[in-house]
Amino acid sequence: MNEEHYLLFELKQGNKEAFTLLFQKYYKDLVLFGGNFLYDKVRCEDIVQTIFLKLWSDREVLVVNTSLKSYLLRAVQNSCLDEIRHNQVKYEHESYTAAFGLDDNVDTENYILYSDLQNHLDEALSKLPEACRLAFEMNRFEGLRYKEIASRLDVSERTIEVRIGKAIGLLRVYLKEFFLLVSMLLFKEL
Amino acid sequence: MQVNNNIDILIAKHFSEELTIDEENMLTSWLNEDVNNIAYFNQLRNIWQVSYPSFNPETIDVAKAEKKIMKTIKVKRWTQMPAVVWWQRIAAIIILPLFLLMAYLINKEKNLTAEVVYQEIFSPFGVRSQVNLPDGSKVWLNSGSRLKYPVVFKSGIRDVYLSGEAYFEVHSDKNNPFMVKTANLAVKATGTAFNVEAYSTDSVIAVTLVHGKVNVELNNDRNIALVPNQRLSYNNKSNSYNLAKVDTYKWCTWRNGILVFRNDPLDYVFKKIGQMYNVDILVKDTQIASQPYRATFEGESLEEILRLMKMTAPIRYRRTERFKTKNGEFSKEKIEVYKQKINEL
Repeated sequence: MNEEHYLLFELKQGNKEAFTLLFQKYYKDLVLFGGNFLYDKVRCEDIVQTIFLKLWSDREVLVVNTSLKSYLLRAVQNSCLDEIRHNQVKYEHESYTAAFGLDDNVDTENYILYSDLQNHLDEALSKLPEACRLAFEMNRFEGLRYKEIASRLDVSERTIEVRIGKAIGLLRVYLKEFFLLVSMLLFKEL
Repeated sequence: MQVNNNIDILIAKHFSEELTIDEENMLTSWLNEDVNNIAYFNQLRNIWQVSYPSFNPETIDVAKAEKKIMKTIKVKRWTQMPAVVWWQRIAAIIILPLFLLMAYLINKEKNLTAEVVYQEIFSPFGVRSQVNLPDGSKVWLNSGSRLKYPVVFKSGIRDVYLSGEAYFEVHSDKNNPFMVKTANLAVKATGTAFNVEAYSTDSVIAVTLVHGKVNVELNNDRNIALVPNQRLSYNNKSNSYNLAKVDTYKWCTWRNGILVFRNDPLDYVFKKIGQMYNVDILVKDTQIASQPYRATFEGESLEEILRLMKMTAPIRYRRTERFKTKNGEFSKEKIEVYKQKINEL
Protein backbone atom coordinates (compact mmCIF):
# COMPACT_ATOMS: atom_id res chain seq x y z
CA MET A 1 0.00 0.00 0.00
CA ASN A 2 1.87 3.10 -1.13
CA GLU A 3 0.94 6.75 -0.75
CA GLU A 4 -0.98 6.93 -4.00
CA HIS A 5 -3.12 3.89 -3.22
CA TYR A 6 -3.84 5.28 0.17
CA LEU A 7 -4.89 8.67 -1.25
CA LEU A 8 -7.10 6.97 -3.82
CA PHE A 9 -8.71 4.85 -1.11
CA GLU A 10 -9.35 7.92 1.04
CA LEU A 11 -10.69 9.83 -1.96
CA LYS A 12 -13.27 7.10 -2.54
CA GLN A 13 -14.36 7.53 1.08
CA GLY A 14 -15.04 11.17 0.26
CA ASN A 15 -12.02 12.54 2.11
CA LYS A 16 -11.57 16.10 0.88
CA GLU A 17 -8.05 16.38 2.24
CA ALA A 18 -6.91 13.44 0.14
CA PHE A 19 -8.46 15.14 -2.88
CA THR A 20 -6.64 18.39 -2.07
CA LEU A 21 -3.33 16.57 -1.73
CA LEU A 22 -3.80 14.87 -5.09
CA PHE A 23 -4.70 18.19 -6.65
CA GLN A 24 -1.60 19.91 -5.28
CA LYS A 25 0.60 17.00 -6.28
CA TYR A 26 -0.49 16.76 -9.91
CA TYR A 27 -2.13 20.00 -11.04
CA LYS A 28 0.91 21.86 -12.37
CA ASP A 29 2.44 18.82 -14.08
CA LEU A 30 -0.82 17.94 -15.80
CA VAL A 31 -1.21 21.48 -17.15
CA LEU A 32 2.36 21.35 -18.48
CA PHE A 33 1.67 17.96 -20.04
CA GLY A 34 -1.41 19.38 -21.76
CA GLY A 35 0.88 22.07 -23.17
CA ASN A 36 2.42 19.41 -25.41
CA PHE A 37 -0.88 19.21 -27.29
CA LEU A 38 -2.40 22.68 -26.93
CA TYR A 39 -0.45 25.93 -26.86
CA ASP A 40 -3.17 27.62 -24.89
CA LYS A 41 -2.50 27.78 -21.17
CA VAL A 42 -5.99 28.90 -20.20
CA ARG A 43 -7.57 26.00 -22.10
CA CYS A 44 -5.12 23.53 -20.54
CA GLU A 45 -5.91 24.76 -17.06
CA ASP A 46 -9.64 24.45 -17.78
CA ILE A 47 -9.18 20.91 -19.03
CA VAL A 48 -7.21 19.83 -15.96
CA GLN A 49 -9.70 21.47 -13.59
CA THR A 50 -12.57 19.71 -15.31
CA ILE A 51 -10.76 16.40 -14.91
CA PHE A 52 -10.32 16.98 -11.20
CA LEU A 53 -13.95 17.97 -10.76
CA LYS A 54 -14.94 14.74 -12.45
CA LEU A 55 -12.50 12.80 -10.26
CA TRP A 56 -14.34 14.15 -7.23
CA SER A 57 -17.89 13.69 -8.46
CA ASP A 58 -17.23 10.15 -9.75
CA ARG A 59 -15.08 9.17 -6.77
CA GLU A 60 -17.42 6.39 -5.61
CA VAL A 61 -17.61 4.64 -8.95
CA LEU A 62 -14.02 5.34 -10.02
CA VAL A 63 -12.12 2.42 -11.56
CA VAL A 64 -8.38 2.94 -11.95
CA ASN A 65 -6.59 -0.04 -13.50
CA THR A 66 -3.25 1.69 -13.92
CA SER A 67 -1.38 4.05 -11.64
CA LEU A 68 -3.32 7.18 -10.83
CA LYS A 69 -0.64 9.32 -12.49
CA SER A 70 -1.07 7.38 -15.72
CA TYR A 71 -4.86 7.60 -15.44
CA LEU A 72 -4.76 11.40 -15.06
CA LEU A 73 -2.22 11.87 -17.88
CA ARG A 74 -4.38 9.81 -20.19
CA ALA A 75 -7.43 11.86 -19.27
CA VAL A 76 -5.55 15.09 -20.09
CA GLN A 77 -4.32 13.64 -23.39
CA ASN A 78 -7.81 12.52 -24.42
CA SER A 79 -9.39 15.86 -23.55
CA CYS A 80 -6.69 17.78 -25.44
CA LEU A 81 -7.04 15.58 -28.52
CA ASP A 82 -10.83 15.98 -28.42
CA GLU A 83 -10.34 19.72 -28.22
CA ILE A 84 -8.03 19.65 -31.25
CA ARG A 85 -10.41 17.52 -33.31
CA HIS A 86 -13.29 19.71 -32.30
CA ASN A 87 -11.45 22.86 -33.29
CA GLN A 88 -9.68 21.50 -36.33
CA VAL A 89 -11.89 23.46 -38.65
CA LYS A 90 -11.54 26.62 -36.61
CA TYR A 91 -7.78 26.53 -36.39
CA GLU A 92 -6.95 25.12 -39.76
CA HIS A 93 -4.46 27.85 -40.60
CA GLU A 94 -2.87 28.29 -37.22
CA SER A 95 -0.09 26.24 -35.67
CA TYR A 96 -2.47 25.38 -32.91
CA THR A 97 -1.33 21.87 -32.17
CA ALA A 98 2.06 20.99 -30.81
CA ALA A 99 4.83 19.32 -32.73
CA PHE A 100 3.30 15.91 -33.18
CA GLY A 101 0.26 14.50 -34.86
CA LEU A 102 -3.08 13.46 -33.52
CA ASP A 103 -2.43 9.74 -33.65
CA ASP A 104 0.65 10.06 -31.49
CA ASN A 105 -0.01 8.28 -28.27
CA VAL A 106 2.11 9.05 -25.26
CA ASP A 107 3.04 6.11 -23.08
CA THR A 108 1.52 7.60 -19.95
CA GLU A 109 2.52 4.69 -17.73
CA ASN A 110 6.22 5.43 -18.16
CA TYR A 111 5.96 9.19 -18.68
CA ILE A 112 8.03 11.21 -16.24
CA LEU A 113 6.49 14.44 -15.01
CA TYR A 114 8.13 17.83 -15.25
CA SER A 115 8.56 18.17 -11.46
CA ASP A 116 10.31 14.82 -11.25
CA LEU A 117 12.55 15.14 -14.28
CA GLN A 118 13.46 18.84 -14.30
CA ASN A 119 16.26 18.78 -11.72
CA HIS A 120 17.88 15.67 -13.13
CA LEU A 121 17.62 17.18 -16.59
CA ASP A 122 19.52 20.32 -15.56
CA GLU A 123 22.26 18.13 -14.20
CA ALA A 124 22.33 16.02 -17.36
CA LEU A 125 22.47 19.13 -19.53
CA SER A 126 25.56 20.34 -17.73
CA LYS A 127 27.28 17.03 -18.53
CA LEU A 128 26.83 17.40 -22.30
CA PRO A 129 29.77 18.36 -24.53
CA GLU A 130 29.68 22.14 -24.84
CA ALA A 131 28.98 22.27 -28.59
CA CYS A 132 26.06 19.81 -28.31
CA ARG A 133 24.56 21.61 -25.34
CA LEU A 134 24.81 24.97 -27.08
CA ALA A 135 23.07 23.74 -30.24
CA PHE A 136 20.38 21.95 -28.23
CA GLU A 137 19.68 25.00 -26.08
CA MET A 138 19.58 27.37 -29.03
CA ASN A 139 17.02 25.09 -30.63
CA ARG A 140 14.93 24.42 -27.51
CA PHE A 141 15.19 27.60 -25.45
CA GLU A 142 15.51 30.20 -28.18
CA GLY A 143 13.37 28.31 -30.69
CA LEU A 144 15.85 28.74 -33.54
CA ARG A 145 15.64 26.63 -36.71
CA TYR A 146 18.63 24.42 -37.53
CA LYS A 147 19.49 26.72 -40.39
CA GLU A 148 19.71 29.78 -38.14
CA ILE A 149 21.84 27.97 -35.57
CA ALA A 150 24.20 26.79 -38.30
CA SER A 151 24.69 30.31 -39.65
CA ARG A 152 25.15 31.79 -36.18
CA LEU A 153 27.81 29.26 -35.27
CA ASP A 154 29.24 29.31 -38.76
CA VAL A 155 29.07 25.54 -39.30
CA SER A 156 27.09 23.37 -41.72
CA GLU A 157 23.48 22.46 -41.07
CA ARG A 158 24.47 18.80 -41.02
CA THR A 159 26.82 19.50 -38.11
CA ILE A 160 23.92 20.99 -36.16
CA GLU A 161 21.75 17.93 -36.92
CA VAL A 162 24.47 15.69 -35.53
CA ARG A 163 25.02 17.85 -32.44
CA ILE A 164 21.34 18.06 -31.50
CA GLY A 165 20.84 14.35 -32.21
CA LYS A 166 23.84 13.58 -30.04
CA ALA A 167 22.56 15.89 -27.29
CA ILE A 168 19.18 14.16 -27.03
CA GLY A 169 20.80 10.70 -27.26
CA LEU A 170 23.28 11.50 -24.48
CA LEU A 171 20.58 13.04 -22.28
CA ARG A 172 18.74 9.76 -22.46
CA VAL A 173 21.90 7.86 -21.52
CA TYR A 174 22.44 10.15 -18.50
CA LEU A 175 18.80 9.83 -17.45
CA LYS A 176 18.48 6.14 -18.19
CA GLU A 177 18.81 5.13 -14.55
CA PHE A 178 16.02 7.50 -13.79
CA PHE A 179 13.67 6.01 -16.38
CA LEU A 180 14.46 2.56 -15.06
CA LEU A 181 13.73 3.68 -11.53
CA VAL A 182 10.31 4.95 -12.54
CA SER A 183 9.27 1.67 -14.14
CA MET A 184 10.63 -0.19 -11.10
CA LEU A 185 8.46 1.88 -8.79
CA LEU A 186 5.46 1.19 -10.97
CA PHE A 187 6.24 -2.46 -10.86
CA LYS A 188 6.23 -2.37 -7.09
CA GLU A 189 2.93 -0.55 -7.00
CA LEU A 190 0.97 -3.07 -9.00
CA MET B 1 23.61 0.23 -24.68
CA GLN B 2 25.24 2.31 -27.37
CA VAL B 3 24.08 5.72 -28.48
CA ASN B 4 22.12 5.20 -31.66
CA ASN B 5 23.41 8.20 -33.58
CA ASN B 6 21.46 8.20 -36.81
CA ILE B 7 18.13 7.47 -35.23
CA ASP B 8 18.70 10.13 -32.56
CA ILE B 9 19.31 12.66 -35.33
CA LEU B 10 16.06 11.69 -37.06
CA ILE B 11 14.06 11.76 -33.84
CA ALA B 12 15.43 15.18 -32.85
CA LYS B 13 14.61 16.48 -36.33
CA HIS B 14 11.10 15.09 -35.99
CA PHE B 15 10.55 17.02 -32.76
CA SER B 16 11.99 20.19 -34.30
CA GLU B 17 9.85 19.74 -37.42
CA GLU B 18 12.94 19.63 -39.61
CA LEU B 19 12.35 16.22 -41.29
CA THR B 20 12.33 15.73 -45.04
CA ILE B 21 9.73 13.36 -46.52
CA ASP B 22 12.33 10.61 -47.01
CA GLU B 23 13.58 10.89 -43.46
CA GLU B 24 10.03 10.78 -42.15
CA ASN B 25 9.46 7.48 -43.93
CA MET B 26 12.72 6.12 -42.54
CA LEU B 27 11.68 7.04 -39.02
CA THR B 28 8.20 5.57 -39.42
CA SER B 29 9.53 2.24 -40.66
CA TRP B 30 12.09 2.14 -37.84
CA LEU B 31 9.31 2.69 -35.31
CA ASN B 32 7.26 -0.11 -36.83
CA GLU B 33 10.18 -2.55 -36.68
CA ASP B 34 10.17 -3.17 -32.99
CA VAL B 35 8.10 -2.29 -29.96
CA ASN B 36 11.32 -1.40 -28.09
CA ASN B 37 11.96 1.30 -30.66
CA ILE B 38 8.68 2.93 -29.73
CA ALA B 39 9.64 2.86 -26.06
CA TYR B 40 12.97 4.46 -26.95
CA PHE B 41 11.22 7.14 -28.99
CA ASN B 42 8.85 7.81 -26.08
CA GLN B 43 11.72 8.37 -23.67
CA LEU B 44 13.37 10.87 -26.00
CA ARG B 45 10.07 12.67 -26.48
CA ASN B 46 9.59 12.79 -22.71
CA ILE B 47 13.01 14.42 -22.28
CA TRP B 48 12.37 16.79 -25.19
CA GLN B 49 9.03 17.97 -23.81
CA VAL B 50 10.18 18.46 -20.24
CA SER B 51 13.37 20.28 -21.27
CA TYR B 52 11.30 23.28 -22.33
CA PRO B 53 7.58 23.13 -21.57
CA SER B 54 5.11 25.16 -23.66
CA PHE B 55 4.28 27.35 -20.67
CA ASN B 56 6.43 28.76 -17.95
CA PRO B 57 5.77 26.54 -14.91
CA GLU B 58 6.07 29.61 -12.66
CA THR B 59 2.96 31.10 -14.20
CA ILE B 60 0.70 28.21 -13.21
CA ASP B 61 -1.08 29.30 -10.06
CA VAL B 62 -1.95 26.07 -8.25
CA ALA B 63 -3.36 27.80 -5.18
CA LYS B 64 -5.73 29.89 -7.27
CA ALA B 65 -6.95 26.87 -9.20
CA GLU B 66 -7.38 24.94 -5.97
CA LYS B 67 -9.53 27.71 -4.52
CA LYS B 68 -11.71 27.71 -7.60
CA ILE B 69 -12.16 23.93 -7.53
CA MET B 70 -12.88 23.81 -3.80
CA LYS B 71 -15.51 26.49 -4.19
CA THR B 72 -17.20 24.42 -6.86
CA ILE B 73 -17.36 21.24 -4.83
CA LYS B 74 -18.34 22.89 -1.59
CA VAL B 75 -21.67 21.53 -0.38
CA LYS B 76 -21.47 22.12 3.35
CA ARG B 77 -24.59 23.76 4.69
CA TRP B 78 -24.53 26.51 7.31
CA THR B 79 -27.76 25.13 8.71
CA GLN B 80 -26.20 21.81 9.71
CA MET B 81 -23.88 23.58 12.13
CA PRO B 82 -24.62 23.99 15.84
CA ALA B 83 -25.27 27.61 16.82
CA VAL B 84 -22.17 27.83 19.05
CA VAL B 85 -19.82 26.80 16.24
CA TRP B 86 -21.55 29.30 13.99
CA TRP B 87 -20.93 32.17 16.43
CA GLN B 88 -17.36 31.08 16.99
CA ARG B 89 -16.75 31.31 13.29
CA ILE B 90 -18.30 34.74 13.00
CA ALA B 91 -16.15 35.91 15.90
CA ALA B 92 -12.99 34.51 14.32
CA ILE B 93 -13.77 36.25 11.06
CA ILE B 94 -14.19 39.64 12.79
CA ILE B 95 -11.44 39.49 15.42
CA LEU B 96 -8.51 38.51 13.23
CA PRO B 97 -8.79 41.44 10.80
CA LEU B 98 -9.14 43.83 13.77
CA PHE B 99 -5.94 42.44 15.16
CA LEU B 100 -4.14 42.82 11.85
CA LEU B 101 -5.40 46.35 11.43
CA MET B 102 -4.05 47.31 14.83
CA ALA B 103 -0.67 45.76 14.15
CA TYR B 104 -0.53 47.60 10.84
CA LEU B 105 -1.39 50.97 12.34
CA ILE B 106 1.19 50.64 15.12
CA ASN B 107 3.84 49.69 12.60
CA LYS B 108 2.92 52.53 10.26
CA GLU B 109 3.33 55.08 13.01
CA LYS B 110 6.84 53.81 13.74
CA ASN B 111 7.91 54.06 10.13
CA LEU B 112 6.38 57.42 9.33
CA THR B 113 8.85 59.26 11.53
CA ALA B 114 11.83 58.47 9.26
CA GLU B 115 12.08 60.23 5.91
CA VAL B 116 14.34 58.31 3.50
CA VAL B 117 17.32 60.23 2.13
CA TYR B 118 18.96 58.87 -1.02
CA GLN B 119 22.54 59.05 -2.14
CA GLU B 120 23.35 58.67 -5.83
CA ILE B 121 26.64 57.66 -7.46
CA PHE B 122 27.58 57.53 -11.11
CA SER B 123 30.49 55.75 -12.83
CA PRO B 124 31.30 57.57 -16.09
CA PHE B 125 32.35 55.57 -19.15
CA GLY B 126 35.92 54.37 -18.80
CA VAL B 127 35.64 54.33 -15.00
CA ARG B 128 34.61 51.61 -12.56
CA SER B 129 33.86 52.28 -8.91
CA GLN B 130 33.31 50.37 -5.71
CA VAL B 131 30.84 51.42 -2.99
CA ASN B 132 30.23 50.13 0.50
CA LEU B 133 26.58 50.44 1.48
CA PRO B 134 25.43 51.39 5.00
CA ASP B 135 24.42 47.78 5.75
CA GLY B 136 27.87 46.37 4.97
CA SER B 137 27.03 45.20 1.45
CA LYS B 138 29.59 45.83 -1.30
CA VAL B 139 28.75 47.05 -4.79
CA TRP B 140 31.03 47.29 -7.84
CA LEU B 141 29.63 49.70 -10.40
CA ASN B 142 30.58 49.24 -14.05
CA SER B 143 31.23 52.06 -16.55
CA GLY B 144 28.26 54.22 -17.42
CA SER B 145 26.15 52.99 -14.50
CA ARG B 146 24.14 54.76 -11.84
CA LEU B 147 23.23 53.52 -8.35
CA LYS B 148 20.82 55.17 -5.93
CA TYR B 149 20.71 53.96 -2.33
CA PRO B 150 19.30 55.21 0.99
CA VAL B 151 21.84 56.78 3.32
CA VAL B 152 20.21 54.84 6.16
CA PHE B 153 18.42 51.56 5.52
CA LYS B 154 14.99 51.42 7.09
CA SER B 155 14.11 48.16 8.86
CA GLY B 156 12.14 45.60 6.89
CA ILE B 157 13.53 46.31 3.44
CA ARG B 158 16.77 47.41 1.77
CA ASP B 159 16.03 48.94 -1.63
CA VAL B 160 18.61 50.21 -4.12
CA TYR B 161 18.02 51.44 -7.67
CA LEU B 162 20.30 50.56 -10.58
CA SER B 163 20.69 51.66 -14.15
CA GLY B 164 23.64 49.99 -15.91
CA GLU B 165 25.71 47.09 -14.61
CA ALA B 166 26.75 46.24 -11.07
CA TYR B 167 28.09 43.31 -9.07
CA PHE B 168 26.68 42.90 -5.55
CA GLU B 169 28.02 41.15 -2.48
CA VAL B 170 25.10 41.42 -0.11
CA HIS B 171 25.52 41.34 3.62
CA SER B 172 23.31 38.56 5.00
CA ASP B 173 20.18 39.59 6.85
CA LYS B 174 17.25 37.18 6.55
CA ASN B 175 14.68 39.55 8.05
CA ASN B 176 15.53 42.49 5.82
CA PRO B 177 15.74 41.27 2.23
CA PHE B 178 17.96 43.27 -0.13
CA MET B 179 16.20 44.54 -3.27
CA VAL B 180 17.87 45.76 -6.47
CA LYS B 181 15.32 47.57 -8.61
CA THR B 182 15.86 48.34 -12.30
CA ALA B 183 13.50 49.69 -14.95
CA ASN B 184 12.29 46.22 -15.92
CA LEU B 185 13.08 43.83 -13.13
CA ALA B 186 13.71 43.55 -9.41
CA VAL B 187 16.12 41.17 -7.69
CA LYS B 188 15.44 40.09 -4.13
CA ALA B 189 18.33 38.61 -2.17
CA THR B 190 19.53 37.65 1.27
CA GLY B 191 23.26 37.11 1.79
CA THR B 192 24.53 36.40 -1.67
CA ALA B 193 26.74 37.44 -4.63
CA PHE B 194 25.27 38.30 -8.01
CA ASN B 195 25.68 40.47 -11.09
CA VAL B 196 22.97 42.63 -12.71
CA GLU B 197 23.18 44.04 -16.25
CA ALA B 198 20.51 46.64 -16.94
CA TYR B 199 21.86 49.35 -19.24
CA SER B 200 18.96 51.45 -20.42
CA THR B 201 20.27 51.33 -23.99
CA ASP B 202 20.15 47.52 -24.16
CA SER B 203 16.97 45.58 -24.71
CA VAL B 204 18.40 42.55 -22.91
CA ILE B 205 18.76 42.68 -19.14
CA ALA B 206 20.44 39.90 -17.20
CA VAL B 207 21.02 38.61 -13.68
CA THR B 208 23.85 36.16 -12.96
CA LEU B 209 23.98 34.39 -9.61
CA VAL B 210 27.41 33.37 -8.27
CA HIS B 211 26.37 32.00 -4.89
CA GLY B 212 23.50 32.23 -2.45
CA LYS B 213 19.90 32.68 -3.49
CA VAL B 214 17.98 35.37 -5.33
CA ASN B 215 14.47 35.86 -6.59
CA VAL B 216 13.96 37.85 -9.77
CA GLU B 217 10.68 39.61 -10.40
CA LEU B 218 10.11 40.54 -14.04
CA ASN B 219 8.03 43.35 -15.48
CA ASN B 220 4.89 41.34 -15.72
CA ASP B 221 5.12 40.08 -12.14
CA ARG B 222 6.62 36.74 -13.11
CA ASN B 223 8.81 35.42 -10.32
CA ILE B 224 11.88 33.31 -10.96
CA ALA B 225 14.16 31.81 -8.33
CA LEU B 226 17.79 31.41 -9.41
CA VAL B 227 20.26 28.80 -8.26
CA PRO B 228 24.03 29.45 -8.28
CA ASN B 229 25.71 29.44 -11.73
CA GLN B 230 22.49 30.41 -13.46
CA ARG B 231 22.07 33.43 -15.70
CA LEU B 232 18.64 34.84 -16.41
CA SER B 233 18.44 37.06 -19.46
CA TYR B 234 15.26 38.97 -20.11
CA ASN B 235 14.36 40.69 -23.33
CA ASN B 236 11.99 43.53 -22.56
CA LYS B 237 11.04 43.98 -26.21
CA SER B 238 9.71 40.45 -26.67
CA ASN B 239 8.90 40.08 -22.96
CA SER B 240 10.55 36.65 -22.91
CA TYR B 241 13.30 35.28 -20.75
CA ASN B 242 15.90 32.54 -20.85
CA LEU B 243 17.53 30.67 -17.98
CA ALA B 244 20.91 29.10 -18.62
CA LYS B 245 23.67 27.41 -16.70
CA VAL B 246 26.77 29.55 -17.20
CA ASP B 247 30.35 29.92 -16.17
CA THR B 248 29.83 32.92 -13.86
CA TYR B 249 33.51 33.84 -14.15
CA LYS B 250 32.85 35.36 -17.55
CA TRP B 251 30.08 37.67 -16.34
CA CYS B 252 31.70 38.93 -13.17
CA THR B 253 35.34 39.58 -14.10
CA TRP B 254 34.76 43.14 -15.31
CA ARG B 255 34.98 44.41 -11.73
CA ASN B 256 38.66 43.39 -11.67
CA GLY B 257 39.25 45.07 -15.03
CA ILE B 258 39.31 41.72 -16.85
CA LEU B 259 37.30 41.26 -20.03
CA VAL B 260 36.36 37.68 -20.86
CA PHE B 261 34.79 36.67 -24.17
CA ARG B 262 33.71 33.13 -24.91
CA ASN B 263 32.34 32.82 -28.44
CA ASP B 264 30.60 36.17 -28.19
CA PRO B 265 29.67 38.07 -31.36
CA LEU B 266 32.21 40.73 -32.38
CA ASP B 267 29.81 43.66 -32.08
CA TYR B 268 29.17 42.71 -28.44
CA VAL B 269 32.91 42.35 -27.84
CA PHE B 270 33.55 45.87 -29.16
CA LYS B 271 30.64 47.30 -27.19
CA LYS B 272 32.14 45.98 -23.96
CA ILE B 273 35.65 47.20 -24.84
CA GLY B 274 34.23 50.61 -25.74
CA GLN B 275 32.44 50.84 -22.38
CA MET B 276 35.60 50.06 -20.48
CA TYR B 277 37.89 52.46 -22.38
CA ASN B 278 35.39 55.25 -23.05
CA VAL B 279 35.46 55.07 -26.86
CA ASP B 280 32.67 54.46 -29.37
CA ILE B 281 33.56 51.40 -31.44
CA LEU B 282 31.21 50.68 -34.32
CA VAL B 283 31.27 47.51 -36.41
CA LYS B 284 30.48 48.74 -39.91
CA ASP B 285 30.30 45.40 -41.76
CA THR B 286 27.31 43.29 -40.78
CA GLN B 287 29.15 40.26 -42.13
CA ILE B 288 31.60 40.27 -39.26
CA ALA B 289 29.34 41.70 -36.54
CA SER B 290 28.03 38.29 -35.52
CA GLN B 291 31.30 36.36 -35.81
CA PRO B 292 32.05 34.53 -32.55
CA TYR B 293 35.22 35.65 -30.81
CA ARG B 294 37.11 34.20 -27.86
CA ALA B 295 39.64 36.10 -25.78
CA THR B 296 40.61 37.30 -22.31
CA PHE B 297 42.05 40.78 -21.80
CA GLU B 298 43.60 41.71 -18.50
CA GLY B 299 44.91 45.21 -18.03
CA GLU B 300 46.08 45.71 -21.64
CA SER B 301 45.86 49.20 -23.06
CA LEU B 302 43.25 49.91 -25.74
CA GLU B 303 45.97 50.09 -28.44
CA GLU B 304 47.31 46.71 -27.38
CA ILE B 305 43.82 45.13 -27.44
CA LEU B 306 43.11 46.50 -30.92
CA ARG B 307 46.48 45.22 -32.14
CA LEU B 308 45.83 41.73 -30.72
CA MET B 309 42.32 41.58 -32.16
CA LYS B 310 43.56 42.57 -35.58
CA MET B 311 45.97 39.63 -35.43
CA THR B 312 43.29 37.11 -34.51
CA ALA B 313 40.24 38.31 -36.42
CA PRO B 314 39.84 39.40 -40.08
CA ILE B 315 39.30 43.09 -39.29
CA ARG B 316 40.80 46.53 -39.83
CA TYR B 317 40.20 49.87 -38.09
CA ARG B 318 39.66 53.48 -38.91
CA ARG B 319 40.14 55.84 -35.97
CA THR B 320 38.75 59.35 -36.04
CA GLU B 321 40.79 62.14 -34.47
CA ARG B 322 39.31 63.77 -31.38
CA PHE B 323 38.34 67.35 -31.96
CA LYS B 324 37.61 70.21 -29.62
CA THR B 325 33.87 70.89 -29.27
CA LYS B 326 32.42 74.39 -28.89
CA ASN B 327 32.54 74.36 -25.12
CA GLY B 328 36.21 73.43 -25.04
CA GLU B 329 35.79 69.72 -24.28
CA PHE B 330 37.30 66.98 -26.38
CA SER B 331 34.88 64.72 -28.25
CA LYS B 332 34.69 61.01 -27.52
CA GLU B 333 37.05 59.03 -29.73
CA LYS B 334 35.37 56.98 -32.47
CA ILE B 335 36.72 53.78 -34.01
CA GLU B 336 35.12 52.15 -37.03
CA VAL B 337 35.69 48.44 -37.69
CA TYR B 338 35.63 46.94 -41.19
CA LYS B 339 36.17 43.53 -42.70
CA GLN B 340 39.74 42.99 -43.82
CA LYS B 341 40.27 43.36 -47.54
CA ILE B 342 41.31 40.21 -49.36
CA ASN B 343 44.71 41.60 -50.42
CA GLU B 344 45.59 42.35 -46.80
CA LEU B 345 45.46 38.72 -45.84
